[in-house]
Amino acid sequence: MTTAEVEVRNPSGLHARPAAEFVRAAARFKSRIRVENLTAGRPAGEAKSILGVLACGVLKGHRVRISAEGEDETAAVPVLVALIESGLGEPLGG
Amino acid sequence: MNAIRLEGTAAAPGVAVGAVWRYAPGDPGAGAEAETASGDPAAAIRSAADEAARQLEALAERVRDLGRPDDAGIFEAQALMAGDPMLLDEAIRRAEEGERPAAAVQGAAAEAAAMLAGLEDELLAARAADVRDVGARIVRILTGTALDLPEGPSIAVADDLPPSVTAEIPPGFLLGVALAGGSRTAHAVILARGLGIPAIVGVEGLLGAADAAQEEVGGADLVAAMDGESGEVVLDPGPTEAEEFRARAVDLAGRRARAASLRDRPAATRDGERVVLVANIGSPGDAPRALEARAEGVGLFRTEFLFMKRQTPPTEAEQVAAYREVLEAFGPERPVVIRLADIGGDKAIPYLGLPAEANPFLGVRAIRLAYGSRDLLRTQLRAIWRAGALAAVTPHVMAPMVATVADVELLRSLRDEARDGLLAEGAPCAAGMVTGIMIEIPSAAILAPELALLIDFFSIGTNDLTQYLLAADRGNAALGALQDALHPAVLRTIAGVVRGADAAGIPVAVCGELAGDPAGAAVLVGLGVDELSADAGSLDGVREALAGATRPELDALAAAAVAAGDAETVRGLAGQLLARGLERLAAEAGAGRPRAAAGRG
Repeated sequence: MTTAEVEVRNPSGLHARPAAEFVRAAARFKSRIRVENLTAGRPAGEAKSILGVLACGVLKGHRVRISAEGEDETAAVPVLVALIESGLGEPLGG
Repeated sequence: MNAIRLEGTAAAPGVAVGAVWRYAPGDPGAGAEAETASGDPAAAIRSAADEAARQLEALAERVRDLGRPDDAGIFEAQALMAGDPMLLDEAIRRAEEGERPAAAVQGAAAEAAAMLAGLEDELLAARAADVRDVGARIVRILTGTALDLPEGPSIAVADDLPPSVTAEIPPGFLLGVALAGGSRTAHAVILARGLGIPAIVGVEGLLGAADAAQEEVGGADLVAAMDGESGEVVLDPGPTEAEEFRARAVDLAGRRARAASLRDRPAATRDGERVVLVANIGSPGDAPRALEARAEGVGLFRTEFLFMKRQTPPTEAEQVAAYREVLEAFGPERPVVIRLADIGGDKAIPYLGLPAEANPFLGVRAIRLAYGSRDLLRTQLRAIWRAGALAAVTPHVMAPMVATVADVELLRSLRDEARDGLLAEGAPCAAGMVTGIMIEIPSAAILAPELALLIDFFSIGTNDLTQYLLAADRGNAALGALQDALHPAVLRTIAGVVRGADAAGIPVAVCGELAGDPAGAAVLVGLGVDELSADAGSLDGVREALAGATRPELDALAAAAVAAGDAETVRGLAGQLLARGLERLAAEAGAGRPRAAAGRG
């Protein structure tokens, strides 16, 4: 299993549009990918399910852990971390 | 001619009279025969979900082309929801247990919605309505029922109006929105505010009454009238009532035009004396409304939202993010006063582990908690220092429930301790912090001359000050006569606070409800208050009240008010002055521009 942690800096957290962006990216990998909200301490959700990602309740400033298990796990995690760091298509203030 | 009057929560201002368009999402029982009887239910559900996703993607593309990227984002997320494994697996599981496919989809969507509705964040919880809407779309496809759209300009009457439905309504066909359910943050309400049309939510009995009224008028169009400021909805109004609502619409258009012309310049009295007009906000989500109302900053940023409804205290990082968001939204030109958490006492917080109190309003709360443990407020102050540094502004803070000189000394030592800790760690920290206190406890008002020497500003909380001065519980309806902050005893106390502040050269703000009441604002400026902080929705009214009167008139009003015998007399005096001011402004507006722009009925 490959894991990494990253802070979400989108102004409204992982709400509709950034969550959709993230789920679409996760769906491109074969591995089972999960996302866990470390700040809120909620159980991990499936990264390929928008309902699973929304249910993590990720707000601005929250840290999340992304873990992948499967043949392309080492490729998946850094791509998804970089995507979150880049703001998932949203401008990040400051 | 049996008009039915109903009332709900006013959500977006405006007045409308027009035909009713009733939206009811697909009932899985109704079109059940259209379901493909043959074949396996799992395949039917998957194929309907695919079709729903395709429709939603097309909708996303259409609104993006119309220049509405935020709505497009919602539809994109909905398209993913339509194909979501959690939703479909649950729907198929239900179908395999014998539920009809449509009912299975609706049940699975309701379950997912309930999960999202439980999230603490309002924006994320709002996605619950999106999932339910996706479920309704799949059900429509499964049962072959079409969405019934308005055929002309109409008032929408529904339980809730999902974004994917409002997006299909042709432009100009929505005159107003009346919802039986919904909240003031519902998508339809935000849309209504953007369109400048009225919205009312939580109208009890609306759907049943609309069905009954429709039956009464038979095949003819059912008409409704609504006022998004008063929260009134009238179904099947008579000609007199319809005329009354049309008159309100004309009046509102006039007021909006006047308010808009005043928004272009900073708040001032008729003779040009500036008054700082700022907003009260309760969360970062309130910032856009305050900016839109041309608030010159925030006089009261309540931080309790961070501490309530949770099992553990908010982390420092979480607080930094919330404060920084607001500080950045207002920028260096518009100062934001962050109020330290007023928790404990009646606002019970499980993780503080405080004993229950017999008289919580007079109990251990706010700054008083720090005599026991300094952690809570020190963490909050650290977060404010850090947020100020990140947003590159000087943060303003104030402490509520200050009663004595010792309380102010405690506040200052907590502030300095938080800063010294950050500096020792080499963490980012703002260069300075403007520090004030709320004046809401009578002892603090009496000690104003001494307290003013220790602090940068006062902010008077008139609601609590009134409650404590007159010993009248704010929540007790039987004591209504003792709860008016215009009582001369309160006004004399405020006058004393202003004198104490003036002697030390510090400014005085008022952030209680009195500041947002035009009569109160007029008296307060006359008493020498420098800054008024009120809900964003009150700022236009206050700006107008001040623009109608000169400073000497306000001074004379204040002098008469402190000498008056009761609040009613003060209200009468202020009312006369305000009425004169409005007449002056209306006369000028009438002379300055043609009246034809006053709006349609």
